[in-house]
Amino acid sequence: MHAPRRKSFNSVNAASLARWIVLTVFLALTGLIYVYLTLQLYHQGDQKKALENELASLRSQNDVASVQIAALTSRSALQRRLKEGYLKMIPIAEQNIVRLNAPRPPRPEDTVQPVANKHGGR
Amino acid sequence: MKWNSRIRCALVCLGFTALFSLFSFRLVYLQMIKHDEYAGLAAEKHVDKKKIFAERGSILDANNEVLAHNKPVATVVADATLVTNREATMAILRDALDLPADELAEKLESGRRYVVLKREVPIATATALDQKLTAAKLRGIFFDRDTTRIYPNNSMLCHVIGFTDFEHRGIQGVEASMEEYLHGQDGYRFIEHNRAGQEIVLYRGQEREPRDGYQVHLTIDLNLQNIVENELDAAVREYHPQKATVILMRPQTGEILAMANRPNYDLNLRSEAKPEQMKNRAVIDMMEPGSTFKIVTAASALNEHKVRPDTTIFCENGVWNFGGRPLHDHKAYADLSVQDILIKSSNIGAAKLALSVGDQKFYEYIRRFGFGERTGIELPGEISGVIRPPQSWSKISITRIPMGHEVGVTPLQMIMAMAAIANGGKLMTPRVVKSITTEDGKTITTFSPTVLRQVISPETAAQVSKALRGVVSDRGTAAAAAVPGFTICGKTGTAQKVDPKGGYEHGKYVVSFSGYLPADNPAFVGLVVLDDAKTANPELNYGGLVAGPIFARIAEKAARYLDLQPQEDIGKTSAGRMASTNASHR
Repeated sequence: MHAPRRKSFNSVNAASLARWIVLTVFLALTGLIYVYLTLQLYHQGDQKKALENELASLRSQNDVASVQIAALTSRSALQRRLKEGYLKMIPIAEQNIVRLNAPRPPRPEDTVQPVANKHGGR
Repeated sequence: MKWNSRIRCALVCLGFTALFSLFSFRLVYLQMIKHDEYAGLAAEKHVDKKKIFAERGSILDANNEVLAHNKPVATVVADATLVTNREATMAILRDALDLPADELAEKLESGRRYVVLKREVPIATATALDQKLTAAKLRGIFFDRDTTRIYPNNSMLCHVIGFTDFEHRGIQGVEASMEEYLHGQDGYRFIEHNRAGQEIVLYRGQEREPRDGYQVHLTIDLNLQNIVENELDAAVREYHPQKATVILMRPQTGEILAMANRPNYDLNLRSEAKPEQMKNRAVIDMMEPGSTFKIVTAASALNEHKVRPDTTIFCENGVWNFGGRPLHDHKAYADLSVQDILIKSSNIGAAKLALSVGDQKFYEYIRRFGFGERTGIELPGEISGVIRPPQSWSKISITRIPMGHEVGVTPLQMIMAMAAIANGGKLMTPRVVKSITTEDGKTITTFSPTVLRQVISPETAAQVSKALRGVVSDRGTAAAAAVPGFTICGKTGTAQKVDPKGGYEHGKYVVSFSGYLPADNPAFVGLVVLDDAKTANPELNYGGLVAGPIFARIAEKAARYLDLQPQEDIGKTSAGRMASTNASHR
């Protein structure tokens, strides 16, 4: 009679296996993180590019608006509108101009003139 | 001999060693010896030095009104190698860009990687086109950002501003002369791109920011320019001259306040303009000035103390034979004071004044007034005019040059001479550029007034000035140039046109008026020149009758704009002006 065959197992070094598993997981995670971060960098680069394009587009729109403002407020445009009757302007007649410093006739040199001494009251 | 396993094994190992050694050598050869070459080739394929274009600076007037600036546009380009669905692409492009089908087909079938389809496409059109192409999933069409130069005032001040070519380089006017300030400095960035030609932002290399062009501020006041242009247009409608020029300037500083020429052109439609329209006649056209030149004659004689303002000169009763040729006055004058020679514009009197000064000295004064040399204004193409030295004068030149014949001067030189009388004898350098600033207003350069030389003494300038007051009076040749409320100094000029074939053209005249106001402390000097004006009565084609009133209208409006104080009773001068319109003029 054969004695019941004893089950034989290869002995596994649990500590070593755990070390390998941790190392593998660590390497795998490092790799994945590397890939993830690299992709993130590409993605952010694309985002940066998109934002730059958007900024350039906004600047362009701003410049186009400035050009339109300059064109609409230019002298020739205003004159055209004046001719078309869009703007109503009446030239100011000479008699309607009030001058703050009205011209005075020159006084003869020997005329006695009143003077005020600004520092007299001190 | 039998091969045992050890030998076989050794041979296989040797083989592998040799093979891997070969690979290793090849690797070292490629990676180390040929590294630079292949790295260069790879860089050529994937790395680009992308230019970042600097924006051209704006041009502004003295009140910061925009005269020239940039409008963003797009250049539509195709990479013909990437265009797959040609029919669909062509259909969209044809509608959006309004291009002929055959031209479009030729470009797309060229097989080239960079084909410009259309330049200066509005940004809105380009954006819409891009969206359509993206929606239809069509490749191979790209949009390069660009700018185009825009001039909001169209033809106003066209000869001073000038324009640029399609590479944004100044061609004429201030655009050309201030190129170094306006152009700015382009930047760059080293980029890598993928197979589809898109930039890989991650691998951006060295970068330099562009520096935008500076803003150029002119001395021109657009309000005064507008007054001048309107009056010049009215004059052209009335007299149909072949050419016309008006300049306003500040005599104390040499600042040009306004400058206009006819014919002119629209700066935004410059490709349609003819060369004749593009000439800035104020600086590149030469004319015989006629009697306005008598200010130089009188100033030289007075400054040399050969005469005094009240010295009497016999004017030969209208005809004087000198050097075997008769010299005429337009009226018979007997004795005239030096002042009256200017007031009446006597040719014989002026000739005798020049004779008293002498050939060499008179020539020196002409040169001292700036004739025969470039003024140095910041406008390209300026000519120096023609002033012959006394050695090449004929026997009668000393009698003809004093009245503005046998000399070629530019309108700018003429107004500078008048400005020298107005400012006490100083010849200034004319300027159209006031300052250079950055876009945010930081000053880079300011152009200060420059006195070129003291031409005559202030006393002589005052004496000439006093005489010139009489010109714009009932006694003078330019009563029609009077401005109500102001005392004006001025001088008329009527010169027969020089025939390019020789001699003078019959019945054709260059009429001019140059003057300043207020007489005591001039705020501006003006010059009006009309070449071959057509008057209803040819006998009335005189500087005092044609150019004088144009100056008066400009000066009146300019005085109002500058808020100059009238010195005289306005009603009185207006009446005087009306009454004197029919007086004699020359």
